Amino acid sequence: MLTYLVRRLALAAVTTAAVVSLTFALVHLAPGAPFLAGAEGRFVPPETVERQRRSFGLDQPLGTQFVRYVANLARGDLGESFSRRRPVADVLGDALPNTLLLGGAALVLSLVFGIGLGIAQATRAGTWADTTLGALSLALYSVPSFWLGLMLMLVFGEWLRWLPLTGMNAAVGAPATWAGRTFDVLRHLVLPALTLALVNGAAIARFHRAAMLEALGTDFIRAARGRGLGEGRVVLRHALRSALAPAITLAGLSVPALLTGSVLVESVFGWPGMGRVAYEAIFARDYNVITAVAVVAGVLVALGNLLADVGVAWADPRVRRR
Amino acid sequence: MTPSCLTPHLSRLTRLVFCAVLASCATPEPRTPGSATGGTLVILTTGDADVLFPPAGAVTTSADVSGLIFSRLAELTSDLNTVDDAGFRPSLARSWEHADSTTLVFHLDPHARWHDGVPVRAADVAFSFGVYRDTLVASRFSPNLAAIDSVTVRDTLTVVYHFARWYPEQVYDATYHTKVLPKHLLDTIPPARLSSAAFGRSPVGSGPFRFVRWDAGTGIEVAADTSHFLGRPQLDRVVWRVVPDFGAAVSALLAGEGDALAIIPQAELRDRVRASPDLRLVPYASNGVAYVAFNLKGRRGQGVHPIFGDRDVRRAIVMGVNRTAVVRSLFGAEGEVPVGPTARAQWIWSDSILQLRYDPREAGRLLDARGWLTRPSDGLRERAGVPLRFTLLLPTTSRARQDAAVLVQAQLRAIGVDMRLEPLEFALFEQRSAQKDFDAIFQSRTLDASPVGILQLFGSEGARQSNYGSFASPVFDSLTARAIAAPTRAAARPLWRQAIGTLNDDAAAVFLFSPPFSAAVHRRFEGVSIRPDEWLATVAEWSVPPQARLPRDR
Repeated sequence: MLTYLVRRLALAAVTTAAVVSLTFALVHLAPGAPFLAGAEGRFVPPETVERQRRSFGLDQPLGTQFVRYVANLARGDLGESFSRRRPVADVLGDALPNTLLLGGAALVLSLVFGIGLGIAQATRAGTWADTTLGALSLALYSVPSFWLGLMLMLVFGEWLRWLPLTGMNAAVGAPATWAGRTFDVLRHLVLPALTLALVNGAAIARFHRAAMLEALGTDFIRAARGRGLGEGRVVLRHALRSALAPAITLAGLSVPALLTGSVLVESVFGWPGMGRVAYEAIFARDYNVITAVAVVAGVLVALGNLLADVGVAWADPRVRRR
Repeated sequence: MTPSCLTPHLSRLTRLVFCAVLASCATPEPRTPGSATGGTLVILTTGDADVLFPPAGAVTTSADVSGLIFSRLAELTSDLNTVDDAGFRPSLARSWEHADSTTLVFHLDPHARWHDGVPVRAADVAFSFGVYRDTLVASRFSPNLAAIDSVTVRDTLTVVYHFARWYPEQVYDATYHTKVLPKHLLDTIPPARLSSAAFGRSPVGSGPFRFVRWDAGTGIEVAADTSHFLGRPQLDRVVWRVVPDFGAAVSALLAGEGDALAIIPQAELRDRVRASPDLRLVPYASNGVAYVAFNLKGRRGQGVHPIFGDRDVRRAIVMGVNRTAVVRSLFGAEGEVPVGPTARAQWIWSDSILQLRYDPREAGRLLDARGWLTRPSDGLRERAGVPLRFTLLLPTTSRARQDAAVLVQAQLRAIGVDMRLEPLEFALFEQRSAQKDFDAIFQSRTLDASPVGILQLFGSEGARQSNYGSFASPVFDSLTARAIAAPTRAAARPLWRQAIGTLNDDAAAVFLFSPPFSAAVHRRFEGVSIRPDEWLATVAEWSVPPQARLPRDR
């Protein structure tokens, strides 16, 4: 298992280095330039643009900029944001935990929702319930996440007023206690996490239904039933574990989808995460932030895949032996 | 502007300015808080601030927040009269006078304090001017201060502005573009580091509200400076809440999570606000103008454009566009057809300015006369086998401009002009516009209170900068130079209007629409008035009656 982990970590490191190089090259070579957009549609004089370019070393050859960037990166310095005028590490330090919280909650919810729906469908295969749930999951899978978010906002925020619509805490009058603040964040988390989870969970459900059907048709399940085990125990203890591998793999692979999907969901719900940081950085051609976000996203994706592989190895002993 | 153009006014100035104080201003009128002080204004904004260091802030939210934390020497009054000294009310400066034609003396209010308790002094003003002008700070406001030679300290409460020349907007340039900064907190920071210093995340100002907190990506809070030298604001605090999506922001407003939104760009969203019993729309004069500028010089400013180099063809295209229909289609009755590169908020606006009217028949006749004849096959025009075709550059970020472009495309096709659309991502759009790499470009500009900015857009001196179409007209230049030098607004107005009429007659651009500006504000707020150039300029006077307060107001 240790050799397996080391091999996977080495691969993740190579992937991250490739992401850094490619992103750096692509963002600098892409058309468009930073500092051109003035506030409120006002004009920015070319002299001001040139001064700002010089102050960030953008007047240097691209190779020189890359060497300097990599050297700084090796020291843990991600540079300064052009548009926010603060260290990129601080910008990401503010946003990353929020995205991890949202993405993590969405991942857990989508697994619970997807696996639950998959089991419900597989155990009722061919019935009207299976067909209805299948149509529901297909509909959710097809819906754009930002539209679903707006609908949830309309129903639970604007009409029913059960849940807060925007931000990750109350704008005014934040609770004084730790428990109060945590509850406040959780209330704000519900709608954006649910939005991401419903779309992602629908995809998991479709895969998990197929995996469960396959597992339920195997000899060892028939044997378990023959030994007189209850149906609940057969499904949840034996078939589920056997069918988990595709769901875990899909969950790992959905980490990038949760990150990219969160760009829109974070914008709709005003969630102060990495997706919004990335979106605004691309808009402003904030090269340092774009590259850093790509690095962090690359690491997260590699980590997600690694965790998925480890999870599959845990669930399926045959994988460990390979 | 040349010195000779000032000559007619100098004798008058000699009488009025040199021998006497021209503008000894009224003493500031302190706010008089009654029992109604209290309340919280939660503003929803679609973007977070970038930095709360006024010379470096480049986004609207930064300007809004900084506007409450920092003060100017004097403030524009609501009619945005940038010419006459009467158009300004005292702020940090209790009064001012013109010592001579190039010297403006400000007397500071001795009671003015920074939020850390240190008195505001003349040295702060001189320091601030130096920061704004410092090339290492690279402030975008620096070009606005070009006519100011220096700022010197006469004594702790007297600061002197020295101008390179006389012109009527001296008070405007001395006060409007710069916020006064605390020298005692900033003078040890190297200029190149000022924009990224910690001060920009936790500023100390002298405005009616002091900084409380900034949660990155989430919001900003400021609280009333209860010992402010002009009197404490009526409200206790103002909170900005970031909601990047306009639709979501309106939903949040309707759900009671916010109290105000500066602009609601889409008609359907404004209708949702109108339908709410808790909210009201507060319309204010637009200071935006969107226009299609023709590139007279051809791609990248080289040579003469084969189509737009011809004045008659430009006039035909302008006459082929039914601007009223475009505005009605986009904004209903709320939008406005601009009379030129100006907007309702500017004092030069007049409906009587000469414009080319919609006249497709005359447009066709002009094109025929210039040899652009209609092809029987498809109704489009060509000359010597070359089709009358050009490309319009527009940004993908503006829904209004995209919709308008499609309408204009159809209208021009009806007179045989083939306009192709090239929508571009915003940063790329800005790059192409800066390089003048286009046939025609759909620009949108937020105009300053002063009309002088029009020179940047269409004057010869702006040809290197934001005069994207490289339009040049000696008549326009001469008229605007005279308008800028005119000593009063009454004298300047006809000259500006004549200049814009000249611009329209030369068909420098199709001035398509001024978007309607309406803020949504919760009904419990009283005393709400909006100054078009800075919508929160009067927020210190907004109040919430005790009986109307919500839990968040207490």
